[in-house]
Amino acid sequence: MVTKIDVFVAISIAIFVLSLAYITSLGGLGPLPPVDVRDIAYQYLNLTYNPWRRFLTSFALESVTAIIWDFRGLDTLYETAVFYGAIIASIALYRGVKITHSRGGTGLSPIAKTVTRLSFVLIPTVAASVALHGHLTPGGGFQAGSIATVVIVLAIIVFSRYFLPGHGLSKERALLLRSIGLLGVGLTSIGLLLISFLLGVNAYIFQNQAKLDAPLSYPSLVDDYTLGGSLLFFNLSEFIAVAFGFMIVFLLLSVSEEDVREVVTRD
Amino acid sequence: MTNIAVLTAYVIVLSLYVNLGIALYGIFARPSLVKKLIAITILSDTANAFAVLVGYRWPRNALPKPPVIPELPVTRRVLEEYTSSAVDPLPQALVLTAIVIGLAITLFIAFIIIQYYRLYGTVDVRKVRRI
Repeated sequence: MVTKIDVFVAISIAIFVLSLAYITSLGGLGPLPPVDVRDIAYQYLNLTYNPWRRFLTSFALESVTAIIWDFRGLDTLYETAVFYGAIIASIALYRGVKITHSRGGTGLSPIAKTVTRLSFVLIPTVAASVALHGHLTPGGGFQAGSIATVVIVLAIIVFSRYFLPGHGLSKERALLLRSIGLLGVGLTSIGLLLISFLLGVNAYIFQNQAKLDAPLSYPSLVDDYTLGGSLLFFNLSEFIAVAFGFMIVFLLLSVSEEDVREVVTRD
Repeated sequence: MTNIAVLTAYVIVLSLYVNLGIALYGIFARPSLVKKLIAITILSDTANAFAVLVGYRWPRNALPKPPVIPELPVTRRVLEEYTSSAVDPLPQALVLTAIVIGLAITLFIAFIIIQYYRLYGTVDVRKVRRI
């Protein structure tokens, strides 16, 4: 039923949208599409792979990954921590829920299962490729983790919710693997700092390539293959963290309603 | 830059405004928590698309290029061409961060809504208010 408040809200929003459109038509957003980028964009583009400015470049071919894990790496560490925290909070909501036995779900037809088994190999291969080439082409750890999640969702839908835990991938193990991924991100961020303590030289957190007063670098080139320094390690760690983080979420979302209600009503 | 490019840019901006309006209507006017959550995701996606649009550019004498260096070895000519024609990578990086954090928040809200439904049997804010 449409109320007076609904009509009032709809008209207000329509006026708001029309006002924005009018302001834009007067040139409020500047030339559309924009013809130039800001100065800071020039700096990032210029320093992404710049052999002539060795102390400032990240030696990656992809500027977005260079910004995410090198120029603004600390932001991304906190972002990963937020994602981790949200998953921990979601697990906390399901505390006490035990999945003891299958309630009869056996999944879809053998045809669907056979096709899905093929994708169990193909999709993780694509995901690993996206993670490993994150510093060369569009992609990276988060995108690769999201791609790998497709396999997890397929397994839950096609084979049933009990398939993954039955093959050793329980929620607890996924949490452990996710923590290992996050640990990888943390260790990569302080890797050069730890080595610098042993060598007695200067180094910084999230240092990728050598700086003027910090001589250590992650390898940027191995036998003609561009590694992008720490970016490769970051992408791989993030890939593991995101894939298993999503796995926990989808395992929780697919918990049988009876299992949860037993706990919820008991509380 | 052709007239079609300009027209397309205005159509995209107008579509984003309409998306913004739909999202705000969903958040303010729809009583279902699930629909409010869907509206929030539309709102965040619209904001992200806007951020990417802000960093877009159509150079006067070249076609726009993605922020990926296309060839190795990187010579001064390659780098100059790249910096003069690639779009701004910073909004794309910030949007990626925003997507991850937005996803984390969305997941948590979704779990809370499911839990609310289990406990009270409704996701209608008018009924929830009276509980």
